Amino acid sequence: MIEVQNISKHYQHGGKSVAALDNVSLQIASGEIYGIIGRSGAGKSTLIRCLNLLERPDSGHVSLHGEDITRFDERALQQRRQRIGMVFQHFNLLRSRTVAANVRFPLELAGGLSPAQMDARVDELLALVGLQDHKHKRPSQLSGGQKQRVGIARALANHPDLLLCDEATSALDPETTDAILALLADINRQLGLTIVLITHDMRVIRQLCDSVAVLDHGRVVEQGKVLDVFLAPQHAVTQSLLAETGMGQGALQGIWRQRVATPVIKLTFVGEPTLQPVLDKVGREAGLRVNLLSGTLSEIKDTPFGQLLAGVVASDVDVSALPAIFAREGVRCEVL
Amino acid sequence: MLDFDWNLLLEIDWVEIGEATLDTLTMLGVSMLFTVLAGLPLGVLLFVSAPGQLRARPRLYAVLSFLVNVLRSLPFVILLIVLMPFTLLLVGTSIGVAGAIVPLVVGAVPFFARLVENVLREVDRGVIEASQSMGARLPHIVFKVLLPESLPGLIGAATVTAVALVGYTAMSGVIGGGGLGDLAIRYGYQRFQTEIMIVTVVLLLALVQGLQSAGDSLVRRCRFD
Repeated sequence: MIEVQNISKHYQHGGKSVAALDNVSLQIASGEIYGIIGRSGAGKSTLIRCLNLLERPDSGHVSLHGEDITRFDERALQQRRQRIGMVFQHFNLLRSRTVAANVRFPLELAGGLSPAQMDARVDELLALVGLQDHKHKRPSQLSGGQKQRVGIARALANHPDLLLCDEATSALDPETTDAILALLADINRQLGLTIVLITHDMRVIRQLCDSVAVLDHGRVVEQGKVLDVFLAPQHAVTQSLLAETGMGQGALQGIWRQRVATPVIKLTFVGEPTLQPVLDKVGREAGLRVNLLSGTLSEIKDTPFGQLLAGVVASDVDVSALPAIFAREGVRCEVL
Repeated sequence: MLDFDWNLLLEIDWVEIGEATLDTLTMLGVSMLFTVLAGLPLGVLLFVSAPGQLRARPRLYAVLSFLVNVLRSLPFVILLIVLMPFTLLLVGTSIGVAGAIVPLVVGAVPFFARLVENVLREVDRGVIEASQSMGARLPHIVFKVLLPESLPGLIGAATVTAVALVGYTAMSGVIGGGGLGDLAIRYGYQRFQTEIMIVTVVLLLALVQGLQSAGDSLVRRCRFD
């Protein structure tokens, strides 16, 4: 369990004090993938650096498994950091070292392993990220995705209990992003490793995360399970971030209200009902005919979900009775 | 120049040229060794103590930086004379090749240290941050990150310093330091023996050219791609 309690951090900018983080609190369960999303300048980068104290908050506490690391002295903190992996947007590999030597670097820092043991561990890690064949290459000879795999192998070297990802896929093309996200999900499953990541891309949250916090101007404006936040975003920033992925947009709703002006219903499917012909079934039973205005059908971490906006064209029952009918099929219906 | 008697070249005392070459190489080699030994740590200290850096000590940095500037602004000829008592204390003589090495080192260390500081500033901050995130302590960062990552730049800085030292050695004749530059001044300039001048200049040119090519090829060999 990772607990961030009321941390604040200010920067001096042009003689003025600007809050990068304003009283932020988070609770991150062991073994989950926790995403922090926000636009640039929202304070994400500062927040993730407060988790290993690369940035020291002005006030507040950060506890890892019950240990308040803000009270650690420098030496203890350096020791603790050896078991907190970090992956960076621009990889930050040592150009002077080969792939294998880069992965070996944190093992050298930690000490305690013989050279042969280090080599064995390096081979193990390179196999985990699928880079066995590139062992002796220099970072400059690798593609972006390969560099990030080296970064991930390096971050895992000392058996961390926490992995921090600082925009780990932001410098990669979409295809490579998917592969790296799949690798992270795999590592989370295989090693039960807690992962905290920051991103500005809702797709990363949707594909990978269990929980999410939305950061805006240094404050957490919304947090919860990814599915809940996606299906019922409360804050304007969350809604606009979701709109970029095509979720939750009004689409034809405005025109419908102007020209047709019959009621509009919002149907939310999660899990099993997504795979059933619910709309068809209710349509027959209640004589409901609708015109779809917008919709999203997708999955979040292997859970299928859907959200449809529909204008009611005809209905045998009163519109206000529809929520109860849909509820029987496990679908939430709201009359807007 | 057109009526230069090329036969004069045959009358050159090649033994003296040989000795002068050896003197220059000795002064260059020994002073370069001590310049690197003292200048590299000083450059690292300047880098890490600068404001906003790994071990920011603004007051220490200001003092070191000022001292470096003072030494760099003194003309080398002045340094040679000013340091004579100090040299005598340190190596037992203030003249000759041995006496020249101390001022050469004192003149070159601040120059090299400043170059080192600038080279280290070019190391990607992200890489330093990454090593901090892995729990690296300052000595780790210096020896496993800063110096290896900036090796090509450091070799370049050493090359520039060595070439500057060749120039400095020419002035060591003032204190009887000897060497090719001294020969050029005493025979070529003061006694109008143009042939000596030509030979020494050609030898110095070859030395500088050789140093630069050697430095460049080392840099090429240890570039990271």
